[in-house]
Amino acid sequence: MDTLITRCRKWLLAPAIVCLFVMLPQQGYASTPYEGYIWNTEGRDVRSINGYVHDRAIDGAYLPSGPFNGAEDLFIGPDDTVYVTDTGNNRIVHLSADDELIKVIGDTEGPGKLNGPKGVFVKEDGSVYVADTKNQRIALFDREGAFLKELTAPDSPLLGPGFSYSPSKLVVDNRDYLYVVSEGNTKGLMQIDGNGDFKGFFGSNDVPFNLRDFLVRLIATEEQKAKLPTVQALAFSNLAQDGKGFIYTTTLGTDVNQIKRLSPVGVDTLNRGANKYGDLISYGGPFQVASFEDISINPDGLITALNVTTSRVYQYDKLGNLLFVFGGNGDQDGVFTTPSSLAENAEGTIYVLDKARNRIDLFRTTPFADQVHEASRLYVNGRYDEAKAIWDEVIQLNGNYDIAYHAIGKALYKAEQYKDAMDYYRSANARGDYSEAFRQYRIEFVREHFAWFFSGAIVLFLGLRYGLPFLFRRIRRAKAIGGREGNPLKGEVEAS
Amino acid sequence: MTLVYMIRQVLAHPLDYFQDIQQPNRLKWSYGFLLVFIAFLARMGSLLLLGYHYETREAYEISYAYEFVWILVPWLTWSAANWSVSTILEGEGKFKEILVGSAFCLVPYIVLIIPVTLLTNVLSLSEGNLYSLMTTLIFGWVALLLLIKLKVLHDFELGKLVFITLLTLLAMAVIWFIGILLYGLLSQFLSFFFDVFKEIRFRL
Repeated sequence: MDTLITRCRKWLLAPAIVCLFVMLPQQGYASTPYEGYIWNTEGRDVRSINGYVHDRAIDGAYLPSGPFNGAEDLFIGPDDTVYVTDTGNNRIVHLSADDELIKVIGDTEGPGKLNGPKGVFVKEDGSVYVADTKNQRIALFDREGAFLKELTAPDSPLLGPGFSYSPSKLVVDNRDYLYVVSEGNTKGLMQIDGNGDFKGFFGSNDVPFNLRDFLVRLIATEEQKAKLPTVQALAFSNLAQDGKGFIYTTTLGTDVNQIKRLSPVGVDTLNRGANKYGDLISYGGPFQVASFEDISINPDGLITALNVTTSRVYQYDKLGNLLFVFGGNGDQDGVFTTPSSLAENAEGTIYVLDKARNRIDLFRTTPFADQVHEASRLYVNGRYDEAKAIWDEVIQLNGNYDIAYHAIGKALYKAEQYKDAMDYYRSANARGDYSEAFRQYRIEFVREHFAWFFSGAIVLFLGLRYGLPFLFRRIRRAKAIGGREGNPLKGEVEAS
Repeated sequence: MTLVYMIRQVLAHPLDYFQDIQQPNRLKWSYGFLLVFIAFLARMGSLLLLGYHYETREAYEISYAYEFVWILVPWLTWSAANWSVSTILEGEGKFKEILVGSAFCLVPYIVLIIPVTLLTNVLSLSEGNLYSLMTTLIFGWVALLLLIKLKVLHDFELGKLVFITLLTLLAMAVIWFIGILLYGLLSQFLSFFFDVFKEIRFRL
């Protein structure tokens, strides 16, 4: 009887357990469609924690203004409102921080009609500068979106013959000077004043010396020279401005120094030598040179750049160290089809414009990224010991983060803990800094063991001064005696 | 004439040493290979003992086989090239003397590179000039010994010595070029047969 009950219970229990498992709600599995990685100091790509995850998307189709069409540029104003350059629809769409439509800029008729605009810049006071590319002009609108005036193609002998004005991106500095990227212009950024007068080229890329070209030109005849392709500097693709008046540029067609920070006199202050941005090598296919199409600077100096070759976004700190990579090619939320522009708002959310999908993807920072950003902000401002505590946590989370080791090493060096600093520098592969810490440690070591070094020096001196000659004398004497005893025949021969 | 005595002799009295080895039955083939092997060991030892901040390569980028080939092949090609050039141009050296003598020219490197490398463990990078100066001196000594060897073994005067040295370097380059060429052709040739074999196997 007892066994029967247990058996029945068993029979009843089994389906109950099965039901329990089936009816349990399926656990949602949220993961990003891209894997976090970073290029470490050994030049390898290693796993890292994602710094940015997809938050939401803004699709033009859900706005009263209708879908975007091949939008080329994003700009986020100081009040966190978003300006989208809707190139295909010949308009600028102004959105609030809550994704609501505020206004549409660009008249349907008259002088305020845009034609294929590719860039927009909004000043503090809300006046809008549009790079009206196909109309070959810069169009100015006031904060309500009413057309003010236009700056037509500048005229200057400096521009040279056959110059074609095709403004695509621009920024405006405090003096109301415009810095304009004109497509296909290799002479640098065009500086244009508020009246539309050309003021000169700014910060052009240099033409690197090429021995082969030089030799060819040395030998070639005039006719051959005419047929040779002319060597031109590389053109800028985009630009951004930070609060201090530095202008950041992106350059296409090179694998080094694609990102530059130009000082107000046009000198690159970001790269001392040749720095590589983007991916250093690519697996499973031929290496593709990174093509940075857009760049954004936040108030802390973080550089975020969009590489359209890999459809990924790369974030660097103020010194040019890679912090995060995210995005990629694909159809899911978080990856892009054809990204064209990016911008960052005051909260640190990154907007990426996808011109093929006609939508804007928003990425928010992860807690890990918040920590790294905070630590990096303290670090680049030289507050190493405050940053150290956060970097320690960063390493706890992600042991592959080489900048953290380097930063902690610097904090320890500053705190005169040279031996520990050496260990951290070693983990970060920072040989120059390691050597400095080592030098300090050596001084410390000798000072601590001064008695040993001093007595060692005395012993060495005495040994060399008296011990060695004494030893030599003994050996010579021993040899002389040994020679006499060991070779008696010689003596006999001499005697006879 | 033991190996140790010869090593002391080549360091202290290189002219006498290269005169001495021309006596019959003074040299053994094994000495040459032994010294080259020791030079390889010294090289690996110096790579291991190098101070961290002086390292220019990651550990995984260093290959024992590669380092060995980079000592063995230059030694063999230098000897072969030098022998062939000097034999045509009335040099008196025999191949054995040249080969083993060249190996003995590595003695300063063998003896000194380890102590000099140990120095990098107490020097910082800013004092690196001292280290590079010392390694330069070591290589200079080795080069000087090679020249002395050429002069004494073949009994050349200075002008001819320079001429022969340049010719030897040229011949080395030619040997290497032919070697690489042969390697390329051979691998093409072999891969052709492998491809044919594969093709036949797929068809059957």
